[in-house]
Amino acid sequence: MKIVFNPFIKYTEKQLLPLAIIITIAGCFIAHYCNTRYDGILDLHFGNNVSKLAPFKDNGINILVLFFLLYTAGKYINGKTRAVDIFVTVVTARLPLYVLPVININNQMQEISLKVIDSNSQHAEISTLETLFIITTTIIIILFVIWYIVVLYNGFKVSANAKGIKHNILFIIAIILAEAASKITIAAIN
Amino acid sequence: MNVSKLPVSCPSCSGPLMVSQLSCPECHTTVSGTYPLPALLRLTPEEQNFILQFFMASGSLKQMAAQMGNSYPTVRNRLDDIIEKVKLLYTDEL
Repeated sequence: MKIVFNPFIKYTEKQLLPLAIIITIAGCFIAHYCNTRYDGILDLHFGNNVSKLAPFKDNGINILVLFFLLYTAGKYINGKTRAVDIFVTVVTARLPLYVLPVININNQMQEISLKVIDSNSQHAEISTLETLFIITTTIIIILFVIWYIVVLYNGFKVSANAKGIKHNILFIIAIILAEAASKITIAAIN
Repeated sequence: MNVSKLPVSCPSCSGPLMVSQLSCPECHTTVSGTYPLPALLRLTPEEQNFILQFFMASGSLKQMAAQMGNSYPTVRNRLDDIIEKVKLLYTDEL
């Protein structure tokens, strides 16, 4: 379980970083083929005609914004915090997110979502199977986002030797600021 | 060989233990008094072992991390935590 939720205790940056970068690149291609955008560090949305470059831009901005804010928080907590450890934390923690676009294979999630938006409550034409699909995928997405946050938190703790409520609050503030900054930056670029 | 562990805290109240008697195994001379244990001896055996490994690795945390099968920040954090503990023990001594 430690490998899944906290690989940073055992594995060095030399072991984690190459693997994380390869999976990130693969994840960007999967996002393109499954029409998925990562328009914020905590966001994942399905759309139409997502260009090849868009997921790369999204993930690049998300990684850089998150790295900058967590590194600032880490340095404030512990002057010995290394940039490479925070970078590895950010890149590795995001890996669960790169599996999620598969939910939208053949645009099925996007089509069901549009159906839900278009139909009003009295004339809903959503089948039981589609409802079940939405509920299941929502649960999966929530679980994967929790997994991402847990790995991010554990990596930050190891990188900055963070402990106690004050450090946890700093981590939460960094995440909230990163979410706002990444959303604004991605929206401005598009 | 099974080496007895030096107790550093009171099993009854958990307070720090003091040395009250030292003896020579050759001539059986005994010295009595109340001497505090040095800060390093008041660390746990695991912490003492960590410091010994750090010394044997010439202070190279990277080498220690490789030997222990842990990442560099994990080993550095352990060292930082021990340093904080030793600082507190020294403050208590003064």
